[in-house]
Amino acid sequence: MAVNYDPAIIGRVFETTDPVVVQAEDIRKFNQTIGDTNPRHNDPEADGGMVAPPSFAVTFRNGRHFFEHVPRFGKAGFDAGKDVEFVAPIRPGDAITLKSHVKEIYEKTGRSGSMVFVVIRSTLTNQNGQVVAHVDHRFMNRP
Amino acid sequence: MRYEDVNIGDALGPSEMYLSKDQVRTYAKAMGMLAPRFTDDELARKEGLPGMITPGNMSLAILGKLVTDWIGESGARMTRLGVTYRQPVLPDHTIALNGFVTHKNDADRSVEMDIWIESDEAERLVIGTATVQFPA
Repeated sequence: MAVNYDPAIIGRVFETTDPVVVQAEDIRKFNQTIGDTNPRHNDPEADGGMVAPPSFAVTFRNGRHFFEHVPRFGKAGFDAGKDVEFVAPIRPGDAITLKSHVKEIYEKTGRSGSMVFVVIRSTLTNQNGQVVAHVDHRFMNRP
Repeated sequence: MRYEDVNIGDALGPSEMYLSKDQVRTYAKAMGMLAPRFTDDELARKEGLPGMITPGNMSLAILGKLVTDWIGESGARMTRLGVTYRQPVLPDHTIALNGFVTHKNDADRSVEMDIWIESDEAERLVIGTATVQFPA
């Protein structure tokens, strides 16, 4: 299968979300669902202050039109995985913005045939303009 | 635990976790993941799945917790987590969380590990790697 796409889409930010203010309660709710009782992730009085567990970074929602910008190759596309780089902690009160772009598109041939991977990178920044995380969404397409 | 105390081959877990349908529904609803395949067996089967499945982000969070529990009070920080969803994680089953240290990088005092979620039939449903950075 030939992978044809306009190379100009690589790296271009297609979406910037409105900031979402993180409440301590949102973090605690997340912790409860996975059984995280670590005081640093739950208690505002914890040493050094409460921080969200790192994987809280993947709970921020992309915009409504996110999937319109994920190029499709073939019929079926699904979520194959994620790669997350945690740059700085997220704390209660932070206002988080997501900016998303197509990071790369590549083809792979496995036992079950050809697959095309589309990687979308969402970069999370806080209210001070500091990057807190990069979340790479890996989508797999089968012809 | 200090960087110096960590050895290649050190295990994370294994720890077992019974994942109930209610727990998965609670996660999906709390995170605004309203697709029926995360909340309803019947509707999930209509999509060709064996029943309702665990959201990928929840599997990622469960593996993230395996790593942060291992870090404990050491002052280290998880700086990277990558996961691949190989097969659906079905609730109403007991999963096992596993991992071990694969590399140590003395130059920046970081540690690499393999981590995975195993089914009660010993299949690796979600596999991943993580990096943990220890303080200087």
